[in-house]
Amino acid sequence: MKHMKKLVTGLLSLVMLLMLVSTPTMAEAKSEDNDLVVALQADATNLDPHVSGNGISNLMTLTMYETLIYFDENLELQPRLAESWEMSDDGMEYTFKLREGVKFSDGEPFNAEACIANYERGKNDETLRVHSRMKAIADMEAVDEYTIKITLEKADNTFLNKFSQVTFVSPKAIEELGKEGLAKESAGTGPFILKERVDGGYTKMVRNENYWGEGPEIDSLTFQVVPEDGARIAMLKTGEADIIYPVPPTHVEQLEGADDINIKNMEGLVYRYVTLNNNYTLEDGRQPLSDVRVRQAMNWAFDSEAYCKVVFQGYATAPNSVFAGPVPYHADQEPYTKDLEKAKELMKEAGYEDGFDIDIWCDNTTIEMKGAEFVKQQLAEININVNLQAMESTTIADMTSEPAESTKVQMWYVNWMSGSYEADGSMRNILHSEYFPPKGYNTAFWVNKDFDKALDDALVEPDTDKVAELYATAQSIAWEECPWMFLGVDNSIFAEHTYVSGVVYMPGGHMDFTHAVLDH
Amino acid sequence: MGRYFFRRVVQTIPLMLIISILVFLFIHMIPGDPARTLAGKDAEVSEVEAIREELGLNDNIFVQYFKYMGRIFKGDFGQSYKSGIPTTQLIGQRMQNTIKLVLSAMLWAPLLGILLGVISAVNRGRFLDHLLMFIAILGLSAPGFWLGLMGIQIFAVQLGYLPVSGLNGWKGLILPSFVMGIGCMAEMARYARSSMLDVMREDYVRTARAKGQVERKVIFFHAFRNALIQIVTILGLQIGGLLSGSVLTETVFSIPGIGRLLVDSIFFRDYPVIQALLMLFAFQYVVINLIVDVLYGFINPKIRLE
Repeated sequence: MKHMKKLVTGLLSLVMLLMLVSTPTMAEAKSEDNDLVVALQADATNLDPHVSGNGISNLMTLTMYETLIYFDENLELQPRLAESWEMSDDGMEYTFKLREGVKFSDGEPFNAEACIANYERGKNDETLRVHSRMKAIADMEAVDEYTIKITLEKADNTFLNKFSQVTFVSPKAIEELGKEGLAKESAGTGPFILKERVDGGYTKMVRNENYWGEGPEIDSLTFQVVPEDGARIAMLKTGEADIIYPVPPTHVEQLEGADDINIKNMEGLVYRYVTLNNNYTLEDGRQPLSDVRVRQAMNWAFDSEAYCKVVFQGYATAPNSVFAGPVPYHADQEPYTKDLEKAKELMKEAGYEDGFDIDIWCDNTTIEMKGAEFVKQQLAEININVNLQAMESTTIADMTSEPAESTKVQMWYVNWMSGSYEADGSMRNILHSEYFPPKGYNTAFWVNKDFDKALDDALVEPDTDKVAELYATAQSIAWEECPWMFLGVDNSIFAEHTYVSGVVYMPGGHMDFTHAVLDH
Repeated sequence: MGRYFFRRVVQTIPLMLIISILVFLFIHMIPGDPARTLAGKDAEVSEVEAIREELGLNDNIFVQYFKYMGRIFKGDFGQSYKSGIPTTQLIGQRMQNTIKLVLSAMLWAPLLGILLGVISAVNRGRFLDHLLMFIAILGLSAPGFWLGLMGIQIFAVQLGYLPVSGLNGWKGLILPSFVMGIGCMAEMARYARSSMLDVMREDYVRTARAKGQVERKVIFFHAFRNALIQIVTILGLQIGGLLSGSVLTETVFSIPGIGRLLVDSIFFRDYPVIQALLMLFAFQYVVINLIVDVLYGFINPKIRLE
């Protein structure tokens, strides 16, 4: 035992000594090379841009493939492979003037014919993610070599949003490489060309020397998969990575002191909420969540400012509508600032002064469980006894897609964002009464015909002022009716070395590397 | 020997078949739908359905199994749902990294472990014994995840000697190899110590000593050789465990190996990859056990394989 004590002391002193002799890394103002390395938490699923559709896949494919139009960092539409576009008065037809002299990296010309080949691929294959971005299109025709006309099935104000996600692949590659080949080889018009990829490891791209626009200055761009948060931070510190994303809010502090690192803290798009199943029935047959007063009380009892501080270390904003602020047509509502008296009174009026028991489902990641735990603690103050059930995300996705008759969901701690920056996409799938599971994820099973109508009318309305009005109406109805507990919108946090410049960071986690520069 | 070997190999066939059925049933029983994961949250029901149809998930589970096995006998393990890469290619690519990792740990951990164990046993009750066993317990109880992150913090971030990620050359393998091997070393040390102590109580060791043999020879030729039987058994299990249990090390050091592939595939419900990996792990154990059995014969010729 005596030996043990000596030993522990000895070992501890050794560790201390190691820490002492260690010198902090010197602040480097310059990069060692002209290769940009971006460390990401996860990998793309598939590099065929028509097959995959999640955020990280898009981040990678959009460096190699381009769209006709795109959203800039202010979420305004800009031309890219198109030079201009116009919409007919009834909103049924869109004409795009294409950029001339653009070539795919395999040498094929980009023109109206190429657009149509891409359209046909997407339209005919329902297993491709690009299919849903094109389904509003009834027909695409070539007016001349550099003009296409698109006719919609019906007017749809989200068409341009969805179309801004449609990338164009060389028609020859579609034909010859197909899904399998395009997972390994790129054939786009973008500023980078795929060099090599190790699934789950890294994806390296080199500069497209024949890029039609002002091309990149960096020689190569590598996305490295670094799942562990601490390792990602360490890689940025050692210079193994030049940019990292995401920086978890809990780790921002570790980077704040470093004078060779910039933290890019962008307003986010991921909206966090808890769905309240209106049909949830207690043992005595009462349905507490069908009463709007109970749902409102739950929101009045919830301190979203504190939620942002506790769960996201302040890197989040309290909600003031049912989707994130940067999304177009967002209309500010009067926030539910915590008012326990009001909440208790509403519970009393509704006959639930003594509260009730209820289950909340959430993903089993640390941050999700922390969030759900916070909800539980807040609701305890109005006697609602929340039982937390954390599950793995794929299991939850399965369980929450059960239809109303068989679903077991009571409360679901979840988040949503519209990758194409749509107001419609931010609400329809999760609030419209036609979108109960399994069609959508309206797991509140909330029905409000006025809300549905506002959303449906807005979709086909060509006049943008009227669209704005209709979306404002929809938001105010949902805000008042509280189908959810509104929690917050967490920021997208990136970090880059000070020698990196020119990278455009977008809300929601997207990055544009076309004009990235490494000072080396 | 040859016959024994052949018989053992033949015996593995029904075993692998049973394992394939169990694995297939189990992974299809986990809730979660790969088609839905692939299609994304905002997909239409018809799109999910189209993907399900394409993947053949609408067939009856037995039909799915027989179709799957039919393809396996033709050498086709299917494609990953997630990446579209053929499963064999994907696993081959990842396996290289894991094997590199396991080998880098196997180069030092078992040898050092056995050495420490033997030294400990010989010095039983003395300070050295306590010291070595303390290290062993430390190695066993320190979580690999924590060790890895501490290693990164000290040797990569503070000192700048080693890279954070384990993909960059031999230097990148040092920390992962340490994290990977430390547990194995500790386990080997403890087993080597206890089997040495067992053996050293045996009559033949006493006889050897009584004959006036040099202590070093007693320990080496009489005790250690006999203790090896137990040690090799444990070592076999350890290697199998490392090959299938490298996920933590791979995660901390961002190494795309099969441990992470398995975990990612399970989250994604990438059935073909999960199936192939689990069968591979089972097969690995079978092969390692076979090797261990053959080794017994070499260590102690009295053990007959027939």
